[in-house]
Amino acid sequence: MMREHGTLIVWPSLLAAGLLAAACTDHPNVSMAPKRPSFWLTPPPAQCVTGKWTGGGRIDPTGNRAASNYDNVDEPAGGQPAAPDPAPYMTGKVTFGFNVFLGQDANGNCIVTKGEIEVNGHALKLAWHVSIHDGVDAYDGRPVYANEFSDGHPGGVCVVVGIPDNYMTARVNPGQGREIVQFEVCDNDRGGRQNTRSDAMRWRTAGHGDTGMTYLTGGNIVEHGS
Amino acid sequence: MNGKTMHWVNRLAVLGLVVGLVAGLAAAGSAQSVGGQAYSTYVNTPLGSSGQSPLAVLPAVSGTDGAEADAEGSALNVAGALSSDFLNSITSGEIGAAEAGAQSTSSAASVNILNGLITADEVVANVMSSASQSGAVSDAAGSTFTNLTVAGRSFSGDQAVAPNTNVSLPGVGYVVLNEQIPTGDGVTSSGLTVNMIHVYLQSITGGIVDPLTGQGIGGITTTTGEIIVGSATSSVGR
Repeated sequence: MMREHGTLIVWPSLLAAGLLAAACTDHPNVSMAPKRPSFWLTPPPAQCVTGKWTGGGRIDPTGNRAASNYDNVDEPAGGQPAAPDPAPYMTGKVTFGFNVFLGQDANGNCIVTKGEIEVNGHALKLAWHVSIHDGVDAYDGRPVYANEFSDGHPGGVCVVVGIPDNYMTARVNPGQGREIVQFEVCDNDRGGRQNTRSDAMRWRTAGHGDTGMTYLTGGNIVEHGS
Repeated sequence: MNGKTMHWVNRLAVLGLVVGLVAGLAAAGSAQSVGGQAYSTYVNTPLGSSGQSPLAVLPAVSGTDGAEADAEGSALNVAGALSSDFLNSITSGEIGAAEAGAQSTSSAASVNILNGLITADEVVANVMSSASQSGAVSDAAGSTFTNLTVAGRSFSGDQAVAPNTNVSLPGVGYVVLNEQIPTGDGVTSSGLTVNMIHVYLQSITGGIVDPLTGQGIGGITTTTGEIIVGSATSSVGR
C-alpha cells in the first residue's frame, strides 16, 4: 500500500517536471534580464539580444526643452545628437505605432529583420510609413540598421531604428512621397506599472524636422524580449 | 519498500510538486491574449452610411511576439451626416515574458457632423492596456478634442473632456463625448474602448406635445442611427 501510494505521488511529480522541461524547450530566451552594456557601442552585436519592440501612442513635442514632457535625460543617450537635428523642431500632436524585430547580419551588425512603423504628424497632416521585410526597407531596398542602449533612466533602454549612414526611407502620404527618417523609442518602465508616461519617442525626418525626445502623452513602449 | 527508499521517494515527490506548482504559476503569469482595433469614422444614418474607416485590426499575437496594423484615409464625406479628413488608425500589441499589452490610436481632422451641429478641428482617441505582475490596467491618456463645439457649446484648445459626457441634441438625439467602455477585472485582464464622439440619432413616435412647454410627453424613443468619430480599443488578458 505504501509503495502504491508512493508511486501515485511520484508519477504526477515526474510528469510535472517533464511538462516544465517541455515548456522551457518551447519558449527559449524568455529572460527579462538580458546582457546589456551600460553604454553605447557601434555596432555591438550583443545589443540585439532582446530584439523585439512594440508600442504606440501619442507625443506632443513643443520644441521647448523646459517643457515637462521634454525628455532631456534620454535624448543624448547612445550618442544621439541634440535636437533639432535636422532643424526645425517638429511640433504639435504626433501619433504612432510600431513593431520592430532586431537581428544580426553576417557581419554581426544589428539590423531590423522585420518591422512596421507608422507616424502621423497632425500639424503637418502627414503620415509616414516604414515597412521592413527580410531585413530590407520596402521603400529603398536597403538594409535598416539599429542600435539598443541603456538610457538615462534606471533600467531604461532605447532602440534607434535607421542609424547612420543608411537611416531608412519612409513613404509619406498624401502623395506617396519618400523621405529619409529615423525612429527612436525608450522603454523606461520595463516590467512595472505601464501607464507611467515615462516612455519616450523621437522622430527625425530629413525634410520636416525633428520632434526631439518627448515623453508619451499616452500609449506605451514595450521592449518584450528576444 | 524500506524507510530509506520512502524518504527518497517523498523528497522526489515534494520536488516534483514544487516544480509543478512553479510551472503552473509561470503559465498563469504569462499573458495569453492581446487585442486592439481603431477606426476614425463610422456612419449609420438615414442620410447615408459608411463602415468603420479606415479600420486597423491587430493581427493575432502569440508566444513572445508583437504586431502592428495601421490604415490611412484622406477624407470622408457622407452628405449631411459627416465630413472629415486626415483619417488615421493604428493598433499594436505585444506579449513578453514580463509584460504584455496593446495600444491603439485613431484620429480625424476637420470634423463636421450633421451640418455643423458638432465640429472639431481634430479628434484623437488613444488607449492602452497592459498586464504585468503588478496587475492589469487600461487608460485613455492622450484622447483629446481640438476646438470642439457641440450645439453651440465650445471646448476651446486641445483638451480632454470628462469620460462619458452626455450632451442633449434637441430634435436629433444626444451625443456622448469621450465615451469609455471598460472590460476586464483589472487583475488578470483589462480592456478599454474609447469613442470620442458618439452621436445617437433618435426619433419619438406617439406621445403628445405639452402646449405650455413645447416638450414632448410620452411616446416611444427609438434610436434611428449613430455616428462615431475617433474610436480606439485595446485589451489584454492572461
